[in-house]
Amino acid sequence: MKRGLVLLDPAEVPEREWRRRVGALRERIAADGIDVALVYGDVFRSDDIAYLTNLCVYWNEGVLAVPATGEPTFLTKLSPRVYPWLRRVSTVEDIRSGRNFADLVAAYLADRPDARVGIVDAGLWPESVLEQLAARLGGHRVRELGGLVRDLRLAPAAPEAGLLRTAGALLDQAATAAAAPGLGVPERVSVAERTLRWGGYLDVLTQPSATTDGVSSLRITGQYRTCWLQAARLSGQAPWTARLTAALDAAIAAVRPGVTGADLRAAAGTLPAGGELNWVHQADLSTNGEYAHADPAAVLAEGAVLALAADVLFDDGGYAVVADTVLVTGAGQETLTRGGAT
Amino acid sequence: MTVAEDVDDIVGLAEFERRRQRVREEMRQDGLDAILAFGPGWRRENVRYFTDTLLSGAATFALFPATGEPSAFSTRRADLPAIAARGWITDAHLLDVHDPAALTDRLRDLRPARLGVAHYELLPALLVRALREALPGTEIVSASPLLDRVRLVKSDWELARMRRCAEVCAAGWQAFVDVLEPGLPEYRIVAEVEAVIKGLGAEDNFMLIASGKDEVRGMTAPTPRSLAAGDMVRTELTPQLNGYWLQICRSAVVGPPSDGQRRSFDLFNEAVEAGMAAVYPGVTAHDVAKAQNDVFRKVGFGEYCTSAYTRVRGHGHGLHLDETPIVEGNETVLPENAVFIIHPNTYTPLAGYHVLGDPVRVTPTGCEVLISTERKLFHSTKGITS
Repeated sequence: MKRGLVLLDPAEVPEREWRRRVGALRERIAADGIDVALVYGDVFRSDDIAYLTNLCVYWNEGVLAVPATGEPTFLTKLSPRVYPWLRRVSTVEDIRSGRNFADLVAAYLADRPDARVGIVDAGLWPESVLEQLAARLGGHRVRELGGLVRDLRLAPAAPEAGLLRTAGALLDQAATAAAAPGLGVPERVSVAERTLRWGGYLDVLTQPSATTDGVSSLRITGQYRTCWLQAARLSGQAPWTARLTAALDAAIAAVRPGVTGADLRAAAGTLPAGGELNWVHQADLSTNGEYAHADPAAVLAEGAVLALAADVLFDDGGYAVVADTVLVTGAGQETLTRGGAT
Repeated sequence: MTVAEDVDDIVGLAEFERRRQRVREEMRQDGLDAILAFGPGWRRENVRYFTDTLLSGAATFALFPATGEPSAFSTRRADLPAIAARGWITDAHLLDVHDPAALTDRLRDLRPARLGVAHYELLPALLVRALREALPGTEIVSASPLLDRVRLVKSDWELARMRRCAEVCAAGWQAFVDVLEPGLPEYRIVAEVEAVIKGLGAEDNFMLIASGKDEVRGMTAPTPRSLAAGDMVRTELTPQLNGYWLQICRSAVVGPPSDGQRRSFDLFNEAVEAGMAAVYPGVTAHDVAKAQNDVFRKVGFGEYCTSAYTRVRGHGHGLHLDETPIVEGNETVLPENAVFIIHPNTYTPLAGYHVLGDPVRVTPTGCEVLISTERKLFHSTKGITS
């Protein structure tokens, strides 16, 4: 849950970068003939809103209204009592609270009766909210849009590279310490939490698992500022562990611009029975890619950041996973979650 | 497996049978042929109610028909053996949200005339549309209120789990107090608490915090602000253990408390006690809130009980951390074995925002406080020069 550090630091991400992000969305919606884009987020999946404003939806849900001209407005169910903090940690000045989003959006659009409204990533909005919006915005033209903000997030900007390296080094340290021999599952999770949150991680999601032949693994997915990374290490050895880690190593070595998921799977070679090799873009890591469209033809682009995971689900129910996060470079890749990243 | 775990497993199956009967009784009254419980990443309580499994999928479901065996679905394949191993539901499937045939095929087989969806209000459009396409003749309604009703009263099995969680609350608060010292940033207090409660097996934690003096108006996620001598550090700390959330609310002073901070504690403690004194089987949430607010009104602080300064005077606990709100105007009846926290947290000019509260269970004659942590104004001495 999002209970770690929330920080807006111009030394890390300068103001011009925040303006560039919103400007890029404005250009996209203007090209589509949209006057106001609405972006939805909840405490579990709010990366679009965070990317545009650094707002942290630490509980409940929120909607960001981004006009083609003018500044974004945050519509929230949170109390006005937290406005000072929301303003301190984000780029948003205009914040409005209410009990339901349809009323908030209708009030927001009251002085724009002809506005054409675009719903960003409409398929992922709660249908009930879309229905309430449709009922309240009868006079407006409402159009469902794809993942415009997610598309922008696919290419991290220069200031994010430094944050990703800091976050990667912390995650490597946490994952390695948590895999130390002799620790039980709670102790592993405890070590990871202390290391990451002490270092400034906002969110830490841990997924411990074990096999019946005595190997345990801990998958850690974490959010540092607006960046997401993942790492998983094994504790213990079995006849199949070397093959699983070798598969991940080989897939990582194959990462370079232009390769596809099929290329990475081919590079991974033969996995243990029940094994899979998958990759998830950091833009989708908060949900482990489970809401992303799987496009087998998609190719990796330079600058992309992705988590690669080799996992195995045995017939007896045992499960294990190894994973790392890499930055795709012109020459290949930089593994952010293994020593060397600083 | 230990003897204790083995016993828990056997009793747990009896608990599942109790739930089946309870839910089917409610389904009959609501005319439902099946319930589909949806669990988005931040609201998995209803899926957990049917599976008793810690899940991590971005989207999870439990399908519970009026007759026949239930099924479960998750977008994460590591969840499937965990569901099956627990044994409450043995039919578990991987789900692709863009092609949810695993779910819709099962629903087509059931052909429900009326389907209740728990957390229908949060179900993404792409999944609602897939359900409607698969079930053109089915009336789809929200079953969220139904599940809220059945989860309100806790069984002995659930209360045993909540009592274990109470121990984690106490340990978390102790870790919070132990780490306080001038110069420590708020977010590192949280790091220390997280490490301690996760080491005790906590699955998750909801926590808000604020530090400072009488200028503090509310709590948020932690900031980089460093503690100073004389600060009051407030928190609501809410670990989840074996599915069940329980909250402790306390405030602690870095160094010796001021007179204002002591008077503030006395006032809030009186409000907590007034809330507790109001509890009996059948009391409403409104009555418990009013008893607390009246303490503030009596000393001329009634305005600090309004939404300009505060949210609720407590809330229910269970498989979700923020169940029915304890607030004036909520006429929800709290029967025996309902569990909720009484916390009159708000701002007053005495010492700024003050946080104090205990979780309680409704007993036949009143209430039982579930945590052992003393209700007092804590203070730390670490790093304080006299």
